[in-house]
Amino acid sequence: MRRFCFLWSKQGEQSSTIKKHRKPGIRIVCLLLGVCLLLTGCQGPQKEEEKKSIRIGISLYRGDDTFINNIRNELEEKAKEYEQEHGIKVTLDIQDAKGSQNTQNNQVERFISLGCDVLCINPVDRMDASMIIDKAMTAEVPVVFFNRQPVEEDMNRWDQLYYIGVDAKETAILQGQMVVDLYRKSPEAVDINGDGMVSYVLLEGETSHQDSLIRTEWSIQTLKDGGVPIEKITGGIANWERSQASALMEQWLGAYPDTIELVVSNNDDMALGAIDALERAGTTKVNVIGIDGTTPGIEALENGKLLGTVSANKGIYASAIMELAASCALKEEKPEEYPLVDGTYYWAPQEILIHDLEE
Amino acid sequence: MIGRRSKILLFFYMIFLVVLFLMCSTDLIIREPEKEVYQVAVIIEDVRDDNYSNFRKGMDQAAIEFNADVHFITLYEKLDAEQQMELILREEQDGADALIVVPVDERQVKEAVAEKRIGIPVVLFGTKAAEEKAAGEIIVDYRKMGEQMAEQMAGRISDGCPVLLLAESHGRNAINNDFLEGAAEVLESGGHSCLMAEPDETGGYKNISETLSYGPAAILAGSPESLSETAGVLSENPFLRDQAEGLFGRGNTLQILNDLDGELITGICVTDEFSRGYFSVSMAVQALEGKSVREPMVMDSYYIEKKDLREPEYEKILFPVE
Repeated sequence: MRRFCFLWSKQGEQSSTIKKHRKPGIRIVCLLLGVCLLLTGCQGPQKEEEKKSIRIGISLYRGDDTFINNIRNELEEKAKEYEQEHGIKVTLDIQDAKGSQNTQNNQVERFISLGCDVLCINPVDRMDASMIIDKAMTAEVPVVFFNRQPVEEDMNRWDQLYYIGVDAKETAILQGQMVVDLYRKSPEAVDINGDGMVSYVLLEGETSHQDSLIRTEWSIQTLKDGGVPIEKITGGIANWERSQASALMEQWLGAYPDTIELVVSNNDDMALGAIDALERAGTTKVNVIGIDGTTPGIEALENGKLLGTVSANKGIYASAIMELAASCALKEEKPEEYPLVDGTYYWAPQEILIHDLEE
Repeated sequence: MIGRRSKILLFFYMIFLVVLFLMCSTDLIIREPEKEVYQVAVIIEDVRDDNYSNFRKGMDQAAIEFNADVHFITLYEKLDAEQQMELILREEQDGADALIVVPVDERQVKEAVAEKRIGIPVVLFGTKAAEEKAAGEIIVDYRKMGEQMAEQMAGRISDGCPVLLLAESHGRNAINNDFLEGAAEVLESGGHSCLMAEPDETGGYKNISETLSYGPAAILAGSPESLSETAGVLSENPFLRDQAEGLFGRGNTLQILNDLDGELITGICVTDEFSRGYFSVSMAVQALEGKSVREPMVMDSYYIEKKDLREPEYEKILFPVE
């Protein structure tokens, strides 16, 4: 400590000495250095070469989710189409986070270190996207979130964050509407036991997923508003999974025999789980409705096992992700065919798919 | 005025500060070993990677261990050999350090390697070892796999039971051809008549219902796709399911394993896809590091039925843990 003090005081003396004997040469050197620094700082950005390839890092919350898998397949197709149409090579790095936010954060880090131009993230935990956003902002890599919507506070943090998904309220209303329409057309097709009341059970997705709550609320509300006399028997959370839904349904069939007339499911996988349980129990007189329009869901619809589903147009969904990601990577204008609400959100169109009971 | 002693102290102090700065912010004094990231492109023969899920797991594992950046590339058109060659050259031009190729036309790619038209190491998946060595070769003898399948089938179907072989249009998939030819040879020598069926214009196999309408027959699918598709047809048609003495094939997609578990499929032949993916990346990296060229690696094939699904020996092949 003493030595530091000593040096400090001596330096003070030295500086006053230098002041006294300063030579014009030192001034010139200082001036030149200053000018060099100024010129270095003012150097304009180098003209970027036209990009001939883009690299997109994609992280899926779970690769075994049927809907997500459908989107992934569509994305791969759209990437090839984009390559052929624009002559720009598209490299997709697709990773499965296996339901772990920690794994997904590491994947994002790896994508950034591998030089991905843009990230497409299907977040594991929509409430915990801040870490991904932090990393992306630091590296200045835009992020297109899809399917699981991060909270608004996170989305507002940067103007290079986007979200593509479906409007959950619209989905739910369409799901409810298909039953309302069928009830108006042929009440006995919905009120199977003819007691004047449609008894239903409800299969819900993850509680942390924004769509789960909205789908449940608005689907049932639409049934009520549409004049379908409904009565809830029971409901449960099956976390979007077929096996969990199957187990729940089996339990309910045992607890409420010959009572259930309608199964309202937040997605197709859970609806298929309910159908599995119905088949095991040898029951066919129950209507099951789902959401998503997944490949197995549509197969079940064609076979008459599933009454109906609400399908997001997965082609448009994946195209929107691909085009938006490419425009971010190439620093181009955002694609006009996928208009962004508030400059951030794109909602993919949806349609009702219903089994023709007269077939 | 500063004394001489103070000047010396000040000088050493400044030197010390400079050394500290250099140590902390540059690699002039302590040099961190530079880890090179190898760019490896994997080009398969298909438009989808559905049959490559375990392969990709092995590949990803090796990519982490060997510090490789692996790109997985599928074709725009299935089994388009010309396009595959274009992609090979494109990847080389775009800076790939090594290639792993599942060739559409094995001969064409081997010729390109032999003629040194591809200037970077190539690891090839083949059915026969090449005369001119690539950087690495992983061989699956599909003909032998077909023979093995037929031997197992013979013990499970009735004597003289006809077998319907599901091939690709115009025999354009060499792997399927080898597999079915190997099987047909053994089956015919065992007294089973073999009927080769090609998909119709819709891509389905009309012959299945036609053949089974005449009486019981066994079905052998040449590709994982035709195996899954046929399992789907049998699940929807109880008559056909009763008439089929068994459905056999190759491949281990999740759908195939589910159908095997659900007894829609009687038996399958598989290889260890995880190891194929892992070793292909490891061979590519070894070639890049200048290590000696390995002898071709010949993969074993295994016949599996429902009862074997949970056997530890097969479980690790069918459901590898990443």
